[in-house]
Amino acid sequence: MRRSIIRLSQRRTEIPTASTADIAFLLILFFMVTTVFRATTLHLKIKLPEAKSTERILLRRNVTYVWVDYESKIFVDDNLVSGDAVAAKITPKVWENPDLITILNVDEGVAYGVVDVILDQLKEAKAFKITFATERKS
Amino acid sequence: MELRAKKEADHEIPTASMGDVAFLILIFFLTSTVFTKDKGLKMLLPEKTTEKEKVVVVPENIITISINPAGEANVKTVGYNEFLAADDYEKITDIVEEKLLERDTLLVVSLRTSKDAPYNNMVLALDHIKLAKVTTADGRELRATKVSLIPTSEE
Repeated sequence: MRRSIIRLSQRRTEIPTASTADIAFLLILFFMVTTVFRATTLHLKIKLPEAKSTERILLRRNVTYVWVDYESKIFVDDNLVSGDAVAAKITPKVWENPDLITILNVDEGVAYGVVDVILDQLKEAKAFKITFATERKS
Repeated sequence: MELRAKKEADHEIPTASMGDVAFLILIFFLTSTVFTKDKGLKMLLPEKTTEKEKVVVVPENIITISINPAGEANVKTVGYNEFLAADDYEKITDIVEEKLLERDTLLVVSLRTSKDAPYNNMVLALDHIKLAKVTTADGRELRATKVSLIPTSEE
């Protein structure tokens, strides 16, 4: 009896770790594939409006951005542009990708007239799919 | 004798630290990943129209929401006319829902925003139009999909 107890305690207990690396590499691959590095860091002061019916945009490859900060300055592709130059910036993008979605990141305090000028320019550029960027309101 | 002993030696690449290396890289990607957070209110703009192509909609099918520079909304439709303060926009949803049941897919919401009104108010109104959702008697789900954005200016 005593002998068998000793033998039991002497049995080597080990957690198999051979597949740990495989699991880890699998996770790495997942993150490598899904990672999108931020190409730009914008130092713009923009407080987006809040909306309850906010939807997520899933097709990231079809997206382009227009930014309007609190001073009503318009940015396309990190360039400061005047209101009537937006179409010229967007038109080549629409040619490249007809499914282009333009996301308007506009500060909540900006006068609607500024936004209207951009909408008009987007119509001219035939960029009809747009999204007003908002924060989800709970 | 010596030669044979050499042949029998074990050749193995140590793999014990493989997991550590993998997890190190994993943590790097975990911390540097930025998941997409693009979100907002989707809209489809209309084509630019000339005077000739103008579509005529009967007044019964239209809800007109006019936002003035102070952010107040005037909701107008046949048999209804009310001024809403900026924090009272929830009512828009009720009105649109009521009219949706009545007019079905024919309903057009005309959102007329003053060029001097804050963008926030226009988004707020649009949000409440989009929130309107009704189920008809025959089980269809209706939403106000026809929204036109019209700028107005104060003279």
